[in-house]
Amino acid sequence: MRAVVSVLAGLLAVVVLGACGGGDDDAMTGERAAPPAGPPIRIGAKNFTEQLILGELYRQALEAKGFDVVLKDDIGSTEIIHRALRRGALDMYPEYVGVLLSEVAEDRSRPRGAAAAYDAAREYEQQSGFTLLAQTPFSDSNALAVMPRFAERHGLRTIADLGKLERRVRIGALPEFRTRFEGLDGLQEVYGLRNLRVVAMETGERYDALENGRVEVASVFTTEAQLAEGGYVVLDDPRGLFASGHVAPIVSAEILEAHGPRLRETIDAVSQALTTSAMREMNAAVDLMRRAPAQVAADFLRRKGLR
Amino acid sequence: MLRRSFRTQITTKVVAISVAAAILLGSALVVLIDAVTGQRDAARVAFRSQDALSLANGLEKSLLSIESGLNRYVATGERRYLAAARRELSAYPSQTRRLASLVSDDAGQQRRVQELGEAIRDYDDLWAKSLIEIVEEAGFEVARSQVQTNGGRERLDRIRAQFASLFDRERAVIRAREQAAERGSSRAIGLGIGGLGLVIAIAIGFTLYLRRSLLRPVRTVAEATGRMAAGDLTTRVPADREDELGELARGFNTMADSLERGREDLEHSNAELTRSNAELEQFASVTSHDLQAPLTTISMYAELLERRHGEQADGEMDLVDGIRGATQQARALIRDLLEYSRAGRGHLSVEDVPVSWAVEQALEQLAGAIEESGAQVTVGDLPVVHADRANLCRVFQNLIGNALKFTGEQAPRVSIAADRDDGDWRISVRDNGIGMDPEHAQRIFEPFQRLHGEEDYPGTGIGLAVCERIIDQLGGRIWVSSVPGEGSVFSFTLPAAVPGEAEPARVRARA
Repeated sequence: MRAVVSVLAGLLAVVVLGACGGGDDDAMTGERAAPPAGPPIRIGAKNFTEQLILGELYRQALEAKGFDVVLKDDIGSTEIIHRALRRGALDMYPEYVGVLLSEVAEDRSRPRGAAAAYDAAREYEQQSGFTLLAQTPFSDSNALAVMPRFAERHGLRTIADLGKLERRVRIGALPEFRTRFEGLDGLQEVYGLRNLRVVAMETGERYDALENGRVEVASVFTTEAQLAEGGYVVLDDPRGLFASGHVAPIVSAEILEAHGPRLRETIDAVSQALTTSAMREMNAAVDLMRRAPAQVAADFLRRKGLR
Repeated sequence: MLRRSFRTQITTKVVAISVAAAILLGSALVVLIDAVTGQRDAARVAFRSQDALSLANGLEKSLLSIESGLNRYVATGERRYLAAARRELSAYPSQTRRLASLVSDDAGQQRRVQELGEAIRDYDDLWAKSLIEIVEEAGFEVARSQVQTNGGRERLDRIRAQFASLFDRERAVIRAREQAAERGSSRAIGLGIGGLGLVIAIAIGFTLYLRRSLLRPVRTVAEATGRMAAGDLTTRVPADREDELGELARGFNTMADSLERGREDLEHSNAELTRSNAELEQFASVTSHDLQAPLTTISMYAELLERRHGEQADGEMDLVDGIRGATQQARALIRDLLEYSRAGRGHLSVEDVPVSWAVEQALEQLAGAIEESGAQVTVGDLPVVHADRANLCRVFQNLIGNALKFTGEQAPRVSIAADRDDGDWRISVRDNGIGMDPEHAQRIFEPFQRLHGEEDYPGTGIGLAVCERIIDQLGGRIWVSSVPGEGSVFSFTLPAAVPGEAEPARVRARA
C-alpha cells in the first residue's frame, strides 16, 4: 500500500515538473533578471513597416529584461496614436520628432537643427506629463521622390523646382498628407506650391504608383529600402519643411516612475543601436524580403546583444 | 454444521445469479442514463452555443454600424450618428461578458472571446475615441483624411476575422459534442443490447441449470414416489448430492427403508397368523374327528345296557336314555364343528354353475321337510354363476332349510330370485317366517350363535356361519334384512359366469 502511494506520488511529481518546464520557454532563452513590478507596459506603433519593426524591437527588448509588455501595433497616424497615448490607452510609442513638433505641437517655425527640434519636442511632452526618451541615431524624414527620368526631363533638383512645372503634379501619399503641415499644407505654405494634388494611397502602393506613372511624385520616408537601391531621385528640401526624422519614444511619466530606471535604460539601449543603415536594412528585410517584423527585430536584438 | 452450510448452497446460487442479473441490468441502466444525460447536456450546450453565435452575430453587426456611424459623422458632421455610435460602443463590455458566459467552456473559446473583447476595446480606445477627438480639436477635414487611412476599417476587418474564427471554433465544438453524445448513445445502445443479451443468456442458463440440477432430481423423486405408491418398496433414488435436494433424496430413501421394513414385519406376522389359524383349524378338525370315536363307543355301550336290562330296571332306563341323548347332541355338535372347519378349506372346483341346478338339488334334499310343513316354494329366473357346485348346494340347503324351520303360524312361503348387481349376481331367499330384530343381523353369521333356545328351534347354530364362509371364499358377500314377525330376506352375491351376460335358466316353480 505504502509502495503504491509513493509510486503515485513520484509519477505526480514528474508530471508536475514536466508541465512547469514545458510551459516556461522565456525563462530558458531570455535573461530575465528582476521580475516585473508594476502594471504591464502598453506599447503602441503606427501602421507602416518601420513602426511595426520599432514596436517589435522595444517589446522584445523589454520582455527580455522581464518586463510585462503588451504591443498594440498598426494603430494609425500620429493624429490617432498620439491622442490614444494622451488619453491613457497607451503607455508609450515611438514618434518622429519632426512630425511631433509640426503635427502635434503645431510648431511650424523652421528651419531648425535636430538637437533643437528634440529639445523643443521633449519640452512639449514634458508639459503634458510625458517623457521623450533619447532619440535614435537614424533619421527617417519625410521626403519627396520622383523618377530620375522625370527629374531629368524637367530639371528637378529641389522641392521648389516642382513649382516650375506648369502642369498639375500628382503626389502619391498617405491620406493624412493632405491635411498635414509636413504635407500638402507645408508645401503650399513654405514652398508656395499650388499645382499639387494628393492621391491618397497605402504605404506599399506609393513606389509602384510612381513607377507606372499614376503619380509624378511620391511622399517617401528616407529610411525606406526602396530609396537605398538608388532607383529614385529624392528632392532636396532647402527650406527645411521636413524636419527631424529622428525617432524618440514618448513614454508616460507614470509608467517610467512605476518601473524605475531599468525601463528607461532598456528603451534607450534599443534606440541607441538604431543607426540609419540598421533601420534601412530592417525595413528592406520586411518590405523587400517579406520577412516578419517580429523576426527581423529579434535577429537585430540578438546581434546587438539586447535580447 | 456441515449440512447447514450445504443447505444454503442452492439458495446461495439463486441469490448470486439474481444479484448478477440485477447488477447487469443496473449497469445497463446506468449506461443508458449516462448516454441520455450526455445527449441532454450536448443539446443544452448546443442551445447555449446557438445563443452565443446569435449574440456574436449581433455584436458583429452592431460593430459594423458603429464604424459606418462614425464615418458618417465624420463625413456629414451630424451628431446623431455620433450619439448612436457612442451608445452602442458603451454596451460592449457587458455584451462581451455575456458572450463569454455563453460560448463553450473550451479554453480556446474563452481566450478568443477575451481577445475579441480586447480588440473591440482597442477599436474604441485606439481608433474611435481618437477620431472623435480629432473632429473636435482639428476639424472634420483632418478627421476625413484619417478615415481615408482605413485604420478603423482594417481594425474592424481584423475583429471580424476574430469573430469568424470564434464562430468556426464554436460550431466545431458543438459538432464535436454532438458526435461525442452520438457515440455515447450508440455505445449505450450497444451495451444495453449486450447487457440484455447477457441477462437473457443468464436466464436461459439459469433455467437449464434449474432443469438439470433441480427439476430432474425432483422428478426422479416424484417417479420413485409413484413406483412406491404402486407397491415397489425397493425403489431408491440417488442421494449423492450435498444440497437440499440431496437431503430430500436421503429423506425419501429413509422413508422407503422404513416402509419396506414395516411391510416385511407385516408379512411376517401375517404368515405367523395364518399358520396359527391353520394349526387351530387343524386342531379343531382333528379334535372333533377324534372325539367322535369315544362318543360312538359311549353310545354303543348305552345301547348294550338298554338291550340287556331293558325289561327289568324301568327307573334306571331313563338314565340310559339321558346318556344316549347327550351323546347324540355331542355328536351333532362335533359334526357341525367339523363341517364348519372344513367349509372353505381344501380344493374348490370353481366352474360355471346354473343356480337353478343348485336350487333343485337343495329342494330335493329338503323334500321331506317341505312336504311336512306344507311350504310353498317359488323359484324365479336364475342365472349361471361362477362357483363350486357342492358348496352352492350347501348354501341353498341351509338358507331354505332355515326358512322352513323358523316359521310362524302361517304355512311357510319361500321365494328364490336373482338380480344383476354390476358384474355380480345378487341372489335372495325370501321367507315369511318369524324374522328377527335387525340388531342381530350381523351376529347370526357367527358360529354357534343362536337367537332361540334348542327346545323352540333345534340346531347347533353353525349353518349361517358355514354359508358366510363359503360365499366369502367364492368372492361374494352375504347379509340379511328382516322385520320381526314378517319374515327375512337372505341375500348373497356371486360373480357372474361369463363377464357381461349369462342368460338365466328357466326353472319352473314348484309347490
